[in-house]
Amino acid sequence: MTRPLQASLHHRSRWDGSTIVFCFSIGLLLLIVGYPLLWLLMSAFGIPGEFELGYIAHVYTRSQNLAPLVNTLILAFGSAIISVAFGVPLAWATARSDVPLRRTIQALVAVAYITPPYLTAIAYIILLGPDAGYFNRALQELTGATRGPFDIFSMGGVIFVVGMHVFPFTYFMTHSALRSVDVSYEEAARLLGARRWGVLLRVNLPLVAPAITGGALLSAIDSMALFGPQAFLGLPAQITFLPTRIYGIIGSYPPRWAEASALSLTLVLLTACGLMLQRAYLEGHSHATVGGRGLRLENIRLGRWKWLLLAFCLGVVFLSALAPVGVLAIAAFSRSWISGIAATNFTLSNFSEALFNNQIAVRGILNSFRLAAAAGLCAVVVGATVAYVDLRTQAKGRRFLDYLAILPLGLPGTVMAVGVLLAFIRPPFAIYGTIWILLIAYVARFVPLATRSANATLRQIDPSLEEAARIAGASRLAALWRILLPMTLPGMAVAFLLVFIPALSELSATILLYSGGTETIAVAIFRLNDLGQIEVVAALAVFTITVTLLVSLPLNWLSNRGRTVPTGAVSKS
Amino acid sequence: MKKLQRRTILKGIAAAPILLAQGRVWAASGVPTMPSEVDLAKAKAEGKLTLYTSLDSKIVDSIIGAFKAKYGITVEYFRGGSADVTSKVLAEADAGRIQADMVDASDLAALLVMKDRGLLLAKQSDATAAIAANLRDPDGTWMADRLTQGVIQYNTKEFGGEKAPKTWKDLTSPAMKGRLAFFSSANGDGAPRLYTLAKHLGWELLETLAANKPIRVATPQLVTQLLESGERGAAFATNDNIAWRSKLNGKPTDYVNPPEGVPTEPGAVGLIKRAAHPHAAFLFHEFWMGKDAQGLLVNGGKYSSRSDVMPPTGSPPLSSLKLLTLDYAEYKRDRQAILRRMTDVFGGEWGI
Repeated sequence: MTRPLQASLHHRSRWDGSTIVFCFSIGLLLLIVGYPLLWLLMSAFGIPGEFELGYIAHVYTRSQNLAPLVNTLILAFGSAIISVAFGVPLAWATARSDVPLRRTIQALVAVAYITPPYLTAIAYIILLGPDAGYFNRALQELTGATRGPFDIFSMGGVIFVVGMHVFPFTYFMTHSALRSVDVSYEEAARLLGARRWGVLLRVNLPLVAPAITGGALLSAIDSMALFGPQAFLGLPAQITFLPTRIYGIIGSYPPRWAEASALSLTLVLLTACGLMLQRAYLEGHSHATVGGRGLRLENIRLGRWKWLLLAFCLGVVFLSALAPVGVLAIAAFSRSWISGIAATNFTLSNFSEALFNNQIAVRGILNSFRLAAAAGLCAVVVGATVAYVDLRTQAKGRRFLDYLAILPLGLPGTVMAVGVLLAFIRPPFAIYGTIWILLIAYVARFVPLATRSANATLRQIDPSLEEAARIAGASRLAALWRILLPMTLPGMAVAFLLVFIPALSELSATILLYSGGTETIAVAIFRLNDLGQIEVVAALAVFTITVTLLVSLPLNWLSNRGRTVPTGAVSKS
Repeated sequence: MKKLQRRTILKGIAAAPILLAQGRVWAASGVPTMPSEVDLAKAKAEGKLTLYTSLDSKIVDSIIGAFKAKYGITVEYFRGGSADVTSKVLAEADAGRIQADMVDASDLAALLVMKDRGLLLAKQSDATAAIAANLRDPDGTWMADRLTQGVIQYNTKEFGGEKAPKTWKDLTSPAMKGRLAFFSSANGDGAPRLYTLAKHLGWELLETLAANKPIRVATPQLVTQLLESGERGAAFATNDNIAWRSKLNGKPTDYVNPPEGVPTEPGAVGLIKRAAHPHAAFLFHEFWMGKDAQGLLVNGGKYSSRSDVMPPTGSPPLSSLKLLTLDYAEYKRDRQAILRRMTDVFGGEWGI
């Protein structure tokens, strides 16, 4: 393109409708991500009030704060180990072996990831409650013991349930690495006389090690940020983690903002360290041998071993997906979950209560759908704008903008909520107590997913198409509307769904931000569980999981049309 | 000194627009401060009101259902533990926008804090005559609506007949190790009654109970669930109304008011000063405190604060119990230290 033409294009585009959309999106991003973070930082150092540089260190002189920090680290470490122990064998089995039911196993791993972890936690109270849990009662009858062997209300219980939710990170990363390993290395090793297990351990394993480590780190990061399992399982056992500690500090009266902010900042630092570590590791271990040449992949015949591996795989997906979802379904159709499956115990009343009669549940469902849809739309507009500015313009500060839109990926929901609370509880933007504060929190939390997705979509479309339209006389807005939008629509739909799904069942930020009238599905579940109405909670859970799975189906379909879905999606709760 | 002044001024400037805006709304609406000033037409025009409450939702549902049937006015409510209710009100007050028109919490100290912050409306009520003087604010900002006793509840299959616990001391025996339950959510809303026990019977009681490794859940409803399912055998300082309902529903549980004394906890209700629906809220307050609604409360197993309303069916009259009470002004003052001590004794999260 010649210089004069370029100049004239810029000139013509200076103040059309698209500029307004751009400025609006950028302003919105600064307002909903930048502004709360600024407040969080100030508050962590004691502002408003006395500025104290060492406030964070001071906070940890209290054992009430130190113990949650230690517990959080133990949890991160423990879930990373579970993640590897379950994720890697399953990934290998489904990617490279002839184990039967490979597709089913993979689909169930996806279900384990997509099920909100607080629902898994509730399911495990029903399954592994120390005396009354289904598993424990079955084992008691088998062994004749007076008490069940497992106690889900323990550090081990929290680690287990969180591990069941995060192991898909390791699974999916390892799986895709194994699928793209260059088979000639294996063949070379075979020709040189290596046995099957030797190839596995000394050729395959080192090649996919970066993916495994990356998955483990992501699992650790995600586990620190979760709120649900920590609250449902940790609090009864008197074990506090940073997110539940922050919740306790703000939920008590009067709320202690500075202390909550200081703890939030620590949580951010931990996540940021993890993310940097992951990045550094992946860069330092370039997997040059893992190319796109997955053509000659052949699945390894395991003979009799495959039944053992199948049993292991089924065991994992049973524990992580089938058992929790199944037990919630059983409880949802029961008069009393204690009584288990029996014709006399069957009822539909829990669903009528959850979907029609209970004030908070009904309001929660409506609010959740409205919020998730609105958050999805806003996030897509903002994300697409950021991607456009980043890829199609030379605007100053576009890197910063991109960074700002990705930043919330490293911010746990609890932390985001504290920042949003601090920022929007006071003038000039006093909107605490309205539904808008939830919308802001959701858009801020999930805008990275939309941005990454939009970025990936936009990269696949050659700028020359728009330029052609511009040269033919179309305004920038027209070029966007008539050329770019139709081409990117499937990709934008993916971006929308990627935000819609986690927003529908968001708990960790919502629980700090909702008020009377702005309850969501997750709040209804949390509150009804407090009231001991497990059966109604289960009905709501079954409803939520069903909707989530149904909405995920088009996601798969759209993604398979050549659009890429970004990996590293943040946790939902 | 100079810094302090500047901050005060800045705060004043920041607060001014909210105060102005609120003052305008308040002045315009003509808030009623006595029952005779309540305008039924205006209340119906307001059409609805918002209640923040820590009362069991089944009781709330029955009362707001009766109110709706009588006046056609909808009551939307937020339900949480008393500390949830209080922290929400205080946070919303900070934001200059309290959603609630009426607040009800089982922690009297919480209403005292709200009164101190100037959030509650000073008013007269028709219920005053029926409420003992120590159960209402002389300034009229709050009055008790119910009394909850922190009883011992137990599973009758595990602790039937002779083995049934009768006293607090029974719960400290080694046989109870790993079998006990109690409640408090992460923000410490179970603390007032535990402190009442400690104050009257000594902190050693709590320490020996803690040594039996009790499981802690967020609410009395969850305590009952643990006992009904046999997950745990006995619970201390749990709500008498919840225990009463469990027994009434034929679950394998029973409860007892220990002879050493049982902590009694007044729940109290107040109107928000700058409410969005002042007439509907006042109307609802009078309905809530009236004999009919208090009867519904009693049907749900609660003791009414009104002297002219009978105890729940099958429950002993309060006069037959040794009630342990708390000076809530003192509790409000020492709350931080008390919560800290709870953390020392029981561990876990108390919001301190």
